Amino acid sequence: MVRWILAAVAALMMTTGLAAAQQGPLHIEIDEGVIEPLPYALPTFINEGAGGLTSDITRVIAADLSGTGLFREIPESAHIQRFASFETPVSYPDWQAINAQALITGSVGLSGGKVVVKFRLFDIYSGAQLGDGQQLAASPQSWRRLAHKVADVIYARITGESGYFDSRVVFVSESGPKDKRQKRLAVMDYDGANISYLTDSSTIVLAPRFAPQGDRILFTTFETGFPRIKMMNVGNAAGQLLPETPGTMTFSPRFSRDGGSVIYSLEQNGNTDLYRMSVSGGGAERLTNSPAIETAPDFSPDGSRVVFESDRSGTQQIYVMPASGGEPVRISFGEGRYGTPVWSPRGDLIAFTKQAGGRFFIGVMRTDGSEERLLTASFLDEGPTWSPNGRVIMFTRESPGAAGGAKLYTVDISGRNLKAIEGVGGASDPSWGPLLP
Amino acid sequence: MRMDRAEKIGTGVSAALHAAVILWALIGTWLFPPTPTEPVEVKPAGMISEAEFAALQAAAPKAGEAPPEQPEVPAEEAPAPEEPTPEAVPETPVPPEKPATPPEAEAVPDMSDLTEPTPPAEVTEVPPSMMPPVEEPQDTDAPEFSPRPRPKPAMRVAPTPSEAPAPDAKVSDTAVAETKPEETAEPEKPVEEPKEEAAPPEATTEIVTEATEAEEKPTTSAPKSSPRPRTKPTPPKPDAPKPATPSETATAAATPAKPAKPAKPAASKPTSSDAVADALAEAMAEDSGTGTGGLGIAKNGPPVTAGEKEALIVDVKACWNVGALSSEAMRTSVTVRVDMQENGHPVSASIKMAGYTGGSEAAAKQAFEAARRAIIRCGSDGFPLPAEKYGWWQQIEIVFDPSKMRMK
Repeated sequence: MVRWILAAVAALMMTTGLAAAQQGPLHIEIDEGVIEPLPYALPTFINEGAGGLTSDITRVIAADLSGTGLFREIPESAHIQRFASFETPVSYPDWQAINAQALITGSVGLSGGKVVVKFRLFDIYSGAQLGDGQQLAASPQSWRRLAHKVADVIYARITGESGYFDSRVVFVSESGPKDKRQKRLAVMDYDGANISYLTDSSTIVLAPRFAPQGDRILFTTFETGFPRIKMMNVGNAAGQLLPETPGTMTFSPRFSRDGGSVIYSLEQNGNTDLYRMSVSGGGAERLTNSPAIETAPDFSPDGSRVVFESDRSGTQQIYVMPASGGEPVRISFGEGRYGTPVWSPRGDLIAFTKQAGGRFFIGVMRTDGSEERLLTASFLDEGPTWSPNGRVIMFTRESPGAAGGAKLYTVDISGRNLKAIEGVGGASDPSWGPLLP
Repeated sequence: MRMDRAEKIGTGVSAALHAAVILWALIGTWLFPPTPTEPVEVKPAGMISEAEFAALQAAAPKAGEAPPEQPEVPAEEAPAPEEPTPEAVPETPVPPEKPATPPEAEAVPDMSDLTEPTPPAEVTEVPPSMMPPVEEPQDTDAPEFSPRPRPKPAMRVAPTPSEAPAPDAKVSDTAVAETKPEETAEPEKPVEEPKEEAAPPEATTEIVTEATEAEEKPTTSAPKSSPRPRTKPTPPKPDAPKPATPSETATAAATPAKPAKPAKPAASKPTSSDAVADALAEAMAEDSGTGTGGLGIAKNGPPVTAGEKEALIVDVKACWNVGALSSEAMRTSVTVRVDMQENGHPVSASIKMAGYTGGSEAAAKQAFEAARRAIIRCGSDGFPLPAEKYGWWQQIEIVFDPSKMRMK
């Protein structure tokens, strides 16, 4: 009997050894890494007759990339290799020595009255160029857009998703004391540069919304004494009030994804419901019919569904329903009140404002309400809007006190890289437009 | 059995002594009557009259006198004292063990520590009278504090002699013009060491948002998010067992064992499972070391243990940076194969993606690039793999699965 057992054990070990000897490569699984900004080097582009624009463009590219929180620039003083020309070959060991993982080289010149930027991106540890070199040209006045374009290309090549730097944001510019605040519509670059005002401060304006195409803006104005929806052309600031039923108030508008129709809230006889109308005219279509207040609608990226807030359950919560109307489905069930839902351009998340425990939060959840994550928390955070690539959320943060004011902030959807947009002053109600062509 | 003479003597002596003791017990009391003891007066303490108690008090020694020895009186039999007035408390010599202090006496202790806080100044109309005036210190003969003992003179000698003091300044006989600092001569700034500017590590394996680190968290135990059920792990692809061809086995048998290189220390502590793996490896080594019929195991040695695998994992994941990956790439698991050199360095050109799951091809490409960077970066110093087991890790397959680090 003992002999049999010994023989069986020996056979088992032989079999195990055979299996081990015959298996392929050593197999390991890694499910945890590190989250840190990717170090990159950006030597000042070679000046090929562009003067000061060379360093200006280089700095804007660096600000774009480092501002995402995903990349960290290695200071130029630490660089070992110096580039005499755009064609200077890259010495990879020199960049590996300072732990650079990506290298951007380029040049800026003038040609035919236009600024011409050439650049290349290198993967240091692969020892190869990442994508082809590229050349962009624009008028000298648009040199910032040129830099944003370069940064967008680099961002896309490294992360695999499109950038968001060459985009604009419409918002409400605020000035004056809190009890007598003046509000104007304004448009700026995503980073707060190039601010231009679309309205004066004679009337109150609220909740501007970019068209998905970036050519028009919807907002609520009090120029008639009552809230009404106005559509404005961004190019020439020409606007028109949308038709309405007498004795009603309309507000909280949002373009459909094709820009052909508008969904909005209409208050009549003390009841607020959602309606939809074509921007080219025609009658309004009622989408909800309940005694509760339904407002802050937004379309899904495919245009098939609408997310909005309603207090039909007794408290302010988020609901989703078909774009043509129908039975809404509540998706927010956490503690507190939820509002201002905004559908991500990717379609996978919904950003929202949450109020609980005397604080305000900006958060995201899946379209079915699961995986709710709160990204920010403060005295007053509200009004999220998505970047064109769905990676960043911009929102309004208001500080407490009589001297408090509203500012615009951005945060990555991971909750990292929370920062204020400097140089804008008082601002609220941002709406992020699409990437510019 | 007959007793000898000595035994008889002993038995006789013992019998005589026993008889004497019994006789003494019987008639000893009659012959020598005991002295009668004085009767003990037994009187219950409770029966002592108040006058007797007062007499005892009066006969008690005054302070400074040596107290006469007295029989202890049980505490429970002590007369219950009358409720003394607070004024009588200090006069009555109450023994420390006196029980049941009256309630009034509890008000006497210093309650200064328990007094209510002083009301705010703006609502106080009269100055607080509870604060005694600050008295000026009076000169008294009695020192308030004992003088600090003077330190003993040091008997030790410093190990190193102190520097000689500077010579006393002397007034020069001749006047010297006042010197002025040269305007151009600026003090030299200390040369700073070149700062390491090459990407200081700020890595983290966990994302903490402002909402989670806020001090005033919503008082709720409800989960902030409903966790998504984890995807079913993909079963490992069974590698088709390659039958060992005669030529391969012959080559394996003919090839001499490669010289063992010093193995790098494992970066992680061996776990309990390592012991099992090590034991199995040793058993297999013993089993397959010699004369196994050319299975190829003798060349490779024992297999890589779990601890050695863990050390490799720790090494690679330290360089696997997913911070710049897109959301879709964070949902993509890639399998990467890499050929290894015997010195533990990866062959960079051999790194290739063997497969991916969970994302698009573009996302897989981004995830693969991050994985490749991790292998090259951390492999530049060589992975901690035992050289004697090179046959087991000459090619490595690594699955990079960011699902645990996925943000959404």
